[in-house]
Amino acid sequence: MVEWLTMTIQTASLAMAGWCLVSTFRDRPMLVPHLIGMGVLWLLVIGQAVATVVAMAGGERPAETAMFISYLATVVLLPPACAVWGFMERSKWGPAVIAFACLILPVLFVRLEQLWSPVA
Amino acid sequence: MPDTAPASEAARTLRTGPGRLLVAVYGVFALAATARGVYQLATGFDEAPAAYLLSVLAGVIYLVAAVGLARAGRTSRRVALVSCSVEMVGVLVVGAVSLLLPEVFPDDTVWSGFGSGYFFIPLVLPALGLWWILHVHRLDRD
Repeated sequence: MVEWLTMTIQTASLAMAGWCLVSTFRDRPMLVPHLIGMGVLWLLVIGQAVATVVAMAGGERPAETAMFISYLATVVLLPPACAVWGFMERSKWGPAVIAFACLILPVLFVRLEQLWSPVA
Repeated sequence: MPDTAPASEAARTLRTGPGRLLVAVYGVFALAATARGVYQLATGFDEAPAAYLLSVLAGVIYLVAAVGLARAGRTSRRVALVSCSVEMVGVLVVGAVSLLLPEVFPDDTVWSGFGSGYFFIPLVLPALGLWWILHVHRLDRD
């Protein structure tokens, strides 16, 4: 995994969560800029996933490969799934869904990095 | 896409408004608990079968709750109500057992320590779910 990309994703994700929380508290629905933001975040996640799969094809494998792949699939699918689900709701609860997704995404990346290079 | 649904009973569903967020959280927990349980069952069934089976069971209940909340209709509302109730009881009982009799579950589950490993979301989620279902139910009745 590319470490700086993980940190970029985590930072962007938290920023996105903050933005969406503000929208929720200001009673705004999810708008096109939110969707674009999620698109950019998703591209970053896909970039990380591709880089990781390439590294794995090159023989670099985490010990718990099955667990790692299931986490990787989750982080790739989570942003679009939540973006669609949130965008369908035309109230302040749309951005609330995105905020939730963007708060757990960094946690999932912490787990991914732990599985990729265990400290212990 | 129609904006807000008309206030007829058939159109009012659990998935709009706060329910939208609940379904998302339930979906993620269904995935997390099921994946965790299945993985643990597959890799070390002998170590703590009760804990791992409980994780899978919790995952299935979360999934049923998510589907019940996401779908319209009287039946799915009942399904959501039952699954949220089961969860509430589950997290309270398993949480208490994990603290009082830790030897029953040698490995952690989503409900151990009242969901402390998952920011106590497993404890708060069924309470919010039940509140939301009853809230919508009351709106319909009035």
